[in-house]
Parts: sequence; C-alpha cells; structure tokens
Amino acid sequence: MSSAHLIQTLLEQTRQIINQVESLKYETPATLTWKTNEQSWNILECLEHLNLYGKYYLPQMEHRIKMATAPWEPEFKSGILGNYFAQSMLPKEKLNKMKTFKDKNPINVPLNHSVIETFLEQQLQLINLLNDSRKVSLNKVRIPTSISSLLRLKLGDTFQFYINHIIRHLHQIERIKASMN
Amino acid sequence: MKEIIELSEKTLTLERNKYLKVKGSIDTNIYYIESGSLRIFVLDAYEEQTIRFGYKENIIVALDSFLTGSPSELYIQAIKKTVVRVISRQQFNQFLEQENNQRWWTKTLEGLVLQQMEREKDLLTSSPKERYERVLSRSPQLFQEIPNRYIANYLRMSAETLSRLKKS
Repeated sequence: MSSAHLIQTLLEQTRQIINQVESLKYETPATLTWKTNEQSWNILECLEHLNLYGKYYLPQMEHRIKMATAPWEPEFKSGILGNYFAQSMLPKEKLNKMKTFKDKNPINVPLNHSVIETFLEQQLQLINLLNDSRKVSLNKVRIPTSISSLLRLKLGDTFQFYINHIIRHLHQIERIKASMN
Repeated sequence: MKEIIELSEKTLTLERNKYLKVKGSIDTNIYYIESGSLRIFVLDAYEEQTIRFGYKENIIVALDSFLTGSPSELYIQAIKKTVVRVISRQQFNQFLEQENNQRWWTKTLEGLVLQQMEREKDLLTSSPKERYERVLSRSPQLFQEIPNRYIANYLRMSAETLSRLKKS
C-alpha cells in the first residue's frame, strides 16, 4: 500500500471519529452514564478506556517519530502480526467480545464530561502525529505495544491498530445509545 | 456561480463543531454553502488561528489542496449546523473545458488575489481599531453571521477588545 494513501485514509477516519464524538458533548449526564448492566460500560467508560490507551500510545508514537532516523518510504507493507492485531480490532457483524486488561478498565470509576474533552484533545494530537509521520518510515519505526515492550509493531500498523480500536468502541457507544430506546 | 452549483451531485450536512476537513488531509473539493457557516483555521501549537469564514451562498475551498492536490494544513469546521453542496475537482475540470468558463475562473482568481492582499494589509495593520474598521467596512455581513469570538480571533484580538471596539 502507498504510505501517502494510508496516512490520508487514517486522517479521514480520525476526522469521522472526531465528528462522532463531538455530538456526544450535547448528551445529558444520564445518557452518558447509562449502562445495560453492572458489568458493562457506559459511554463515558468506553471513552475513558480509549483515553487510557491514548495516554500510553500517543507519547510512545510521538517519542519514536521524533527520534526516528529512517526516512519516509513511499510504500508501506503491513507486518504479519501488526496486520493481525489491527484487523482483529475491527468490529465484526457478529459481536466479537474481547477481554480488557485490568489497567485499561475504567469500570465504575466516577467520570464526567471532561472525558470527552480529553478524548478530542487526544485526536488532535493523533492528527499531528499522522502529519509528523510523513517525514519517517512507517515500516522501520517501531512502537512497543502496551502488552509488552518486547512486542513492537511497525508505526503504520500501530496507527491502524490504534484507530481501529477507537472505531471498535465507537460502535459499542452506538449500540449503547440504541439499546436505551 | 449558478452553473457551478449545478455541477454538484452531493449534499453534506454538518452539525455544529463538526469538521469538513482536518490538518494534513488532501481535499480538492469545492463546497457551496447552502445554509450555515464554516471557518477555516490552522492550529499553531494548539493555538487556533482563523484564516477565513464562509457563510450562506459562499464558496469554501481548501485552496492549497485544491490547486496542488497535496495535503493541506487547514482545518475546516462548521460553526453552526451547515449544509454544503460538494463539487469535485473532476467535475470542475470538465466545467473549465469551456472557454467562457475559463474566463470566469480567471476573473474569480484575480478577485481572490485582491482579497488576499486586503487580508495581508489587515495582518500588517498594528492598530486593533483599524483592523476592526477595515474588516467591518469590507464585510459588514460577517458581523451578522459569525459569533464574536471567531471574528476576534480572525482580527487577532481578544473577544473583550472586539466588544469594546464595537461599542465605541
């Protein structure tokens, strides 16, 4: 895949993500904290979960992009593992439940509207990183995953994985909203 | 203008604060604003700097991307609920195949260069009062359509300064 095309696609996905979450700003606290049962997340918990990932990945990516010496390459080739991780994140027709790591689980933590602001700020950071990554290799720059610092994915795969993970939970938010009616 | 709007086969509705374009994307479309208003801005170290506004019956374009086909730094965001007609670069290129349309396009670009010169003079004017008066006499409608805080940002002054100038 062309690297330029990948970045353009990811920017477009990020734009849609921001637009979707912008509209949550006007929801009432009752809607934002509503949940189907004790074990499931409400809308704010979904976003906080994403913020916790952002807090790990965004500074990691920023640091590695800044330190990178490998220059931009016109072609990006997904790694086998990176591609698998990124694809597995996408929501499927049939609900594919996943386990959450304990440190990324915000269940029953008191949250408010500021979670939405933080999320949107993180998206602007992400846009800046996507822009900055136009100077470096999406293949050779590698980002340690939050699972293990030994497991490192290509920058291009990390972007896809990270954004697909957001898309996954925005689907979940849509389901929560739909189940309220 | 009417001929260009008629090229459009697509309409987009944006709620308040939603983005039509973000920094770094390629956007070669022309947007005709049917209703609502939009602003173009750049983010300079998380500081927004408004570059241009568009409201009802205006055209709004990420001109750099439109002309070069390259990524553009510009953000385009709806200030309130906005409906735009989308005209693609390809549709526009077909339109330009006719000679009188080309003449119209040259005229439009010439007008745009003059507008940009006025804007350059704005930016070089040191007195906030003069900056305000320049823009007010040039585009009085702007003050009807766009909230003060965005105009203040466009004029490079605080919202307080702008409201004081408006009263005086």
